[in-house]
Amino acid sequence: MEKRTVMVYIVITLLVFSFAVISGFSQEDVSTIQDSAFKEKMRPPVRFLHDEHNETALIEECNTCHHVYEEGEKAEDESSEDMECSECHALDDGKNPMSLVKIYHVRCKRCHQEKKAGPVMCGECHVK
Amino acid sequence: MHDIYNFVSGPLVWVSFIIFFGGILYRLISMAVLAKKKDVIVYEYMSLQYGLRSILHWIIPFGTVKWQKNPIFTIVTFTFHICLIFIPIFLFAHIILWKESWDISWWYISDIAADVLTIVVIASCIFFLVRRIVLPDVKYLTSISDYVILGIVAAPFITGFWTYHQWPGFRIMGIIHILSGEIMLAAIPFTRLSHMIFFPFTRGYMGSEFGAVRHAKDW
Repeated sequence: MEKRTVMVYIVITLLVFSFAVISGFSQEDVSTIQDSAFKEKMRPPVRFLHDEHNETALIEECNTCHHVYEEGEKAEDESSEDMECSECHALDDGKNPMSLVKIYHVRCKRCHQEKKAGPVMCGECHVK
Repeated sequence: MHDIYNFVSGPLVWVSFIIFFGGILYRLISMAVLAKKKDVIVYEYMSLQYGLRSILHWIIPFGTVKWQKNPIFTIVTFTFHICLIFIPIFLFAHIILWKESWDISWWYISDIAADVLTIVVIASCIFFLVRRIVLPDVKYLTSISDYVILGIVAAPFITGFWTYHQWPGFRIMGIIHILSGEIMLAAIPFTRLSHMIFFPFTRGYMGSEFGAVRHAKDW
């Protein structure tokens, strides 16, 4: 193989690779709500733009959502953003996902209902 | 939109359930009082044994001569009535709302099953509509209110299907879906949909009279 051809291949490979890395970083904020405790997916995953949401909703404290409860009281100085919700909010009988679905809905939907902003109906979050 | 959603999914649910259960109680009591005043013979002849015997025959598909003579109607009406009650109670999307509000949940059917059964209900409604228009004897007995009632029953299923599939305008359709379900609940005690509460008594009385007085079958 000619030297020039090899160079072209290397450049193309690098371009593709850097594109993948850049697009990966630039989409860091574009994500879906995930929880490994959900085995069977009943609905499409919820697309959630974390930073954009919090700017719009004027949320500054992490523990507005990522809360920690100790003995029934919300610990004001603590937050749980490094944890999955299901680590505390265990499934009913260890396998029924309803309780976990509920706490996600209560966290998102009920707040939207109270603030009268943001999606509240099934298909508004679980977009097909 | 939030105000409307909060209203139809909050206070209006209470209103419709209160009208539904309160209406059922009111209709049962007022009918019992009316019968005592004007048709006391009903109480004389009502028999648990013959009444239940007749009801049992009529709630079994093809358990009566009428059911056997109209096989298509029998299949459609039984499937329709079972689905009508079964789908809304065992639908995942409904149960999660119960879970959110009351922290209770139960077994649910898959969304695909719900989809298929909903199409069955809608198709049955079309069948009943065509039947009313086409069959001379049924047409003769049909009034405008029968079409309205058919619409009231079909609406929650059509709008629910639409909302689930997120077809254009599904937000409005979702609101109409909740509203139409509430209208149906509230309409049950006060329209011909009240056969839901009265059928054991009308059938039971027929069975009693045919069984104990005429010593004949009424199925």
